[in-house]
Amino acid sequence: MSFWQVTMKRSVRLSRTYVILGIGMSIYGTILSNILSFIPDDSVNPASTPIGMMNSFPILSVALLSLSALLFSLSVVMLFVYDKNNGVLEYLLSTGLDQLDIFKGYVKASLTLATYLLVFSNIFNTAIGIYLGTSLELLMSMAVLTFALGLSEVFLVTITMIAFSSLQKTPMGANQPLGVIIGIIPMFPTLILPLLFPSNAIIIVISIAAVTLLVSLALLLSVSRLVLREKLLP
Amino acid sequence: MQKLELNEVSAGYGAEEVIHRISLTITEPSIYVVLGPNGAGKTTLFRTIGGILKPFSGQAMFDDADLFYSKVARRRIAYLSHLNALPEEMTVFNALKYYADIEGGDVEHVLDLLNLRDLKDRKFSSLSQGQKKRVSVGKIFLRERDLYLLDEPTSNVDPKISKEIRDILIKLSKDKFVLYSSHNLYEAREIGTYLILIKNGELKFFDKIENVKARQYRIGIKTLNDVSQLLPESKLENGYYVVTVDSPQEIAKIVNNLVQGGAELLELRELDNPLQDFFEE
Repeated sequence: MSFWQVTMKRSVRLSRTYVILGIGMSIYGTILSNILSFIPDDSVNPASTPIGMMNSFPILSVALLSLSALLFSLSVVMLFVYDKNNGVLEYLLSTGLDQLDIFKGYVKASLTLATYLLVFSNIFNTAIGIYLGTSLELLMSMAVLTFALGLSEVFLVTITMIAFSSLQKTPMGANQPLGVIIGIIPMFPTLILPLLFPSNAIIIVISIAAVTLLVSLALLLSVSRLVLREKLLP
Repeated sequence: MQKLELNEVSAGYGAEEVIHRISLTITEPSIYVVLGPNGAGKTTLFRTIGGILKPFSGQAMFDDADLFYSKVARRRIAYLSHLNALPEEMTVFNALKYYADIEGGDVEHVLDLLNLRDLKDRKFSSLSQGQKKRVSVGKIFLRERDLYLLDEPTSNVDPKISKEIRDILIKLSKDKFVLYSSHNLYEAREIGTYLILIKNGELKFFDKIENVKARQYRIGIKTLNDVSQLLPESKLENGYYVVTVDSPQEIAKIVNNLVQGGAELLELRELDNPLQDFFEE
């Protein structure tokens, strides 16, 4: 089993609360994205709503499902801080790994965990959507968008959180929330823009996901220069 | 021939320089005891040799490969820090396997080497401090390396296990470099062939321990009969006649005189460690 696989298993075992929160949030997102089906047709007539609520509202839940993936994978960041404080990262450095190898391991673990949750929540969401008669096209769009936004968000939050944890002088990971705050900033527009520009909602979300992914990749590739090896010492 | 070489190495953390212009070359497989008071820079020295800290200036080389930049060179080094550095939530077996999966190695061999079979299914966090240290030491023996850096490997360990660890290291030092930091002067003399003394981040001494000259030697002599006449300059302390001499050769003369004078010797012991002077100077 490789480093990232063990890291993933360990993080789930150590931080079950985040895992439960993530699953809970994905169920909540699924209910929200299908809530319109329970509202009488005449109150949400697409023709009478200026922002095309029927089509745009489920897109908003993409952000919620992405957030659930984020919560689910936060356990990996907690593990990073734990490993830094008890000297595991120092030992890993001494075995020949460098800071980029270590960061990659945690990011990979985080993305894989997020993928598991997104697969679960999309199957769940699609099944309920089909049962309630939601358009298959809309459900498929939501699945694609959830993966795109969810994974890029998880990537950004993980890399910024572990970078802040490494760079801070206090050992307890107190700067981690900064990583979450910076990481979820790209998510805010996905809550508003699809309502303002319903016909371009998919393009907007995909663009935000693409920019987030590029920023995350750039951050990861800069790790060797931004974070010195000594920053991983306890 | 393997060679560890430090050329004018200065290193530290952030802007703070902890070790200053240290130069040394090691070519002989042996145990090199790194001595120094707290904060002298021993851990910083180990981290620099281990390729974890980038020197501010100078170079740390192992067989002409820069230890900071060469992953291959770093893989030839084992580094045991003063922390246990093991996933606390795992069982002993899984914690060792965690590293074996990452860097290769044989967990079964370590379980046998350090007598860890009885502990293998216990959670690491449930072990005593001494048992944790034993497992922690075990991880550096998962696979063979050429250079071992051990930062106080016997702290928190009971005398029996301490001896077992020292015996492993002595065996290992026949064809490997072992750098061993300790505060224990007796332990240093017992296992070390060479002494590296660090003070205030500077290398103060690097030579064979046998070449360490004490300013004075305090010897305790226990006898069956009263030898106060034969040792007029001695003081009686806790049943020992205590004499202070300037060289080990004088001890031989004293013993000779005692035997010729009819003293029945029970014990002769060195009361101070010659390294003590060195440490405190």
